[in-house]
This record gives sequence, C-alpha cells and structure tokens, in this order.
Amino acid sequence: MAAANGSSDLYSEMEVDAFRRLFPLRYHEQHLLKFVRPDARKLGNARDTTLALGAVASADGSALAKIGSTTMLAAIKMEVMTPTVECPDEGSIAIEFHMPPICSPLVRPGRPAEAASVISKQLSDAIFSSGMIDLKELCLVGGKAAWMAYLDIYCLDADGSLFDAALLSAVAAFSHLNIPVVSLNEDGRMVLVSEDNVQLKLEKQPVNTEKRKLKLNSPPFSLTCLLHKNYILADPTAEEESIMETAVTVVLDSSYQLVSLYKPGGPVHAHTSVIQDCVALAKRRVKELKSVLNEVISDMEVE
Amino acid sequence: MEYVNPEGLRLDGRRPMEMRQLRAEIGVVSRADGSASFEMGNTKVIAAVYGPREVQNRSQQMNDQALVRCEYSMANFSTGDRRRKTKGDRRSTEISLVIRQTMEACILTHLMPRSQIDIYVQVLQADGGTRSACINAATLALADAGIPMRDLVTSCSAGYLNSTPLLDLNYLEDSAGGADVTVGILPKLDKVTLLQMDAKLPMDIFENVMQLAVEGCKAVESHIREILLENAQTLVIRQGYGS
Repeated sequence: MAAANGSSDLYSEMEVDAFRRLFPLRYHEQHLLKFVRPDARKLGNARDTTLALGAVASADGSALAKIGSTTMLAAIKMEVMTPTVECPDEGSIAIEFHMPPICSPLVRPGRPAEAASVISKQLSDAIFSSGMIDLKELCLVGGKAAWMAYLDIYCLDADGSLFDAALLSAVAAFSHLNIPVVSLNEDGRMVLVSEDNVQLKLEKQPVNTEKRKLKLNSPPFSLTCLLHKNYILADPTAEEESIMETAVTVVLDSSYQLVSLYKPGGPVHAHTSVIQDCVALAKRRVKELKSVLNEVISDMEVE
Repeated sequence: MEYVNPEGLRLDGRRPMEMRQLRAEIGVVSRADGSASFEMGNTKVIAAVYGPREVQNRSQQMNDQALVRCEYSMANFSTGDRRRKTKGDRRSTEISLVIRQTMEACILTHLMPRSQIDIYVQVLQADGGTRSACINAATLALADAGIPMRDLVTSCSAGYLNSTPLLDLNYLEDSAGGADVTVGILPKLDKVTLLQMDAKLPMDIFENVMQLAVEGCKAVESHIREILLENAQTLVIRQGYGS
C-alpha cells in the first residue's frame, strides 16, 4: 500500500515529458479516459493528410503522400518486357516498399527492416485483389511486348500507419502515371519516342500512339486502427503503435466494398462489433481520402 | 557534341559560371535528430542524422572519439533507367566512404567519446553532382542535430568541356567524359577537405577549374548559412523567446 502511495506521489511530481517516457502506457491511458489523444485528436480521427502528384521528375508517375508526419514517396517507372507464356496479353506490376535508414531511428542499415517486406506483400495483395488495374491494359503487342510497371515506394519518415500512407501514395502515383509513347523500330524492338520527334514516330510503326493515362477501377484506400481495452484509435502514430500492439487494417475500395482485413495477432481479441466499428471508421476515412485524391487530380488537370 | 554554344550558353541554358538553383529545407524527417533536404537543380537528396547515440557494435567503440558512420543510397527511380540493387554496390560504398571521411573531418568527434553518429543520405532524384548535394545535405542535417562542428563543410563540382571551365555539372555534362572536379571546403578556415578528379587536365587549367569549384562551394555556404539562420529564427519564435 505504502509503495503504491509512493509511486502515485512520484507521478504527481514528475514533469509531463518524463512521465511520458517512463510510463508511456499510463500516460496514454490518462488521455484515453478523457477521449482525446496526446496530439489533441479525437480517438476516431485521422491526422491531416496531404498529397502531391509528380514529385519525381525522373519517373513516369509519382506522388508524395503525408499523413501527419508519416511521409511516403512513390514512383513508377515503365519498362517494356516480353509477357509470360501463361498470360500473353497481360502486363505486369512489381511493387516494392523500401524503408531506408533515414526514416526511423529503429531501422538500422544493412539488412532491410522486417516491416518493409511485410508491407510490400500487403500492398501488392491489396492492389491486385482490389482489381484497380486491368493488366490487359498494360499489353502492347499480344504475346510480344507488354509493360512492366515498377512501383517503388520509399518511406521518408515513419511515424505510424505506414501501410495506409503507402497505399495512398501508390494509388496516387498510378493516377498520375502517363504511359510513355513507344514504337517498333526496324529490328522489331521497342523504342521509346521522346516528345521532340513525334513526327518521326508517325513514319515508324506507332504502337502506343499517345501518352495515355491508366484507367483505375475503384482504387482501394485503407485505415489502420489500434485496439486497446475498449478503445479504438484510428490512424495511430509510431509512439502509439509501440505501446498498444493490437492493430486492425481495413482496406475498402472506392465504393466501400471490403477488399481486405488484416489483424496480425496482438493481445486484444476483437469482437465482431469492434470489427464493425473499425469498418465504419474506415468508411468515413475513405470518403476523406477520396476527396483528397480527387482534389489533387483536378488541380493537376487545371494546370 | 557542343556543350557550350557560340552564345556562351550551356545545354540547360546556364552560363559557364552559373550554378543551378539551390533549395534547402531543414527538419524534414520528424523522428530523426537532425534532417535536411537539399536540391541542386534536378538533383534532390535527403539526409538524416541519428545520434550521438550508444554504439551499436561494441567492438567498434572508441574511448577517445565518436564513431561516425554514413550510408549513401539511391532510390530505384532516381535515374533515367530504373536500376536495381543501388545499395551496397561499389559506387555507393565509395560515395559513403567519401561522405563519411569528409564529415568526420569537421565533426568535433573528441567531444563525444564512446558514442556513434549515423548519417544517412538518400538520393531521390539524380542529375549529376549527387556527391556534392549529399555533402551539403549532410552538413545541414548535422547542424540541425546540434552536433558540434569545426565549420560547415560545403561541396560543389566543376568541369572542363569545350575548353571552358563549367560550374556545377549536370548529368549530361558529367557523362560527357571531360574532367569532373568535386571539391569540399571548410569555408571559414579556407581549407580543402575533399578533392576528387578523374581525368587528364593540364596543371594551369586544373587550377582554374578548382578555383571555380571553390567559388561554387562559397556560394553554397552562404545559402546554407541563410537557411540555418532562418531556421534558428523560427525556432526562437516557436520557443517564445522572440519579439
């Protein structure tokens, strides 16, 4: 009893920052009692989200996504390849997620972070299973040539909800993608046609006559929630993620159909009702993200 | 190929003695102890500094000075053709070493014994002069992290094409096969810490080219100082000591 009293005295005398570092769980629970979070957000609210298209000039399509201070830079480079025998009229997409050591003090150089490969896999699963991209559209000459889209996503600042930010930047990069103009040369090989010699292109066999956009069917968006006791915290920061370990990621497409649901273990067992709450939060979030994306796209078109 | 046209303009419209536009920002990575992005025209790099922190590998710990480590990596989409495996190849290892030695020379390592300082630089867009841009970004990031330094190291490159010395080469000029002199200086002490050149060049021309690069470094330095001062002022205002 005396010991308990002693520690409560310790709590009251301590400075806020020290308390936050020494007793992170208690610190957060104190906030949760009042239904706010240390950064003054409500439990179900996500952080400010911004998007910028065309952030990388050397890529065919690119986007920079920021959720709070979590920053993702996604860029797509297109290359011509020979399609596989199984799907001769389909292109292909390779998705890679990188966490360079600049992004977080936890990532050490040398071997890649474990989280990076997990998120790579999740991203390609979400993008392929949502059916956002028709791979047939990436075909150039059936059986001979098709596009290979290399999507590289770099995490520049890791402050929680990495998957959400990565997916957002990936979708935005695809919507910014301009498929370059190519033509067949004399040897029957594909050559890129630069913008200066469009006339020249017309004399040769144009395969892809003009720069075109990829059609995106109902792109997916996601929201990660943390479960802690009876609380649901949407869009957690890295600090929250390190303290409360049960996360649920909900991926919905633009028509609010469920694409994937991911709960990688954790100490809290989620009831069906909790999952439903998470999905409801995700729905609200997807609406927000859709308007953010549409806004930057329409801004681009005006320019 | 003609790299300087008869009117005296370069491929990208600059004059021979003209630098590309510089742009810098401090504090771009929230969780790093210090960070900065640096742009020289289309070359764009980002640097983050972690430390001084505990030495990760005890056998590398030094009792009289800090251990400085550096890693340079290029994003897959940073160059014209997408390339894979841009980490740990010979070129990156060499540049990592160059940056580490240059920065180590100006950090007061003896003030932080038994600790480690990590400098990570990531190239987001490459258009020649990544080496210089990385050094400039690293300097800003170290200053942002509050790590004691002798001076602000700055770097710039210069070359010699069509019998004209050119300042701050871009990728096209860099790959033309002429001389490429990368210089890093400590501007206040007026000393050269880094000098790399890989081509044949007569002695008197080399001196001219190097002098040009040094002038470039000084221009970078005044820009970096401005950025740091601006950043310090905003910090002061945020802390409430202003007005």
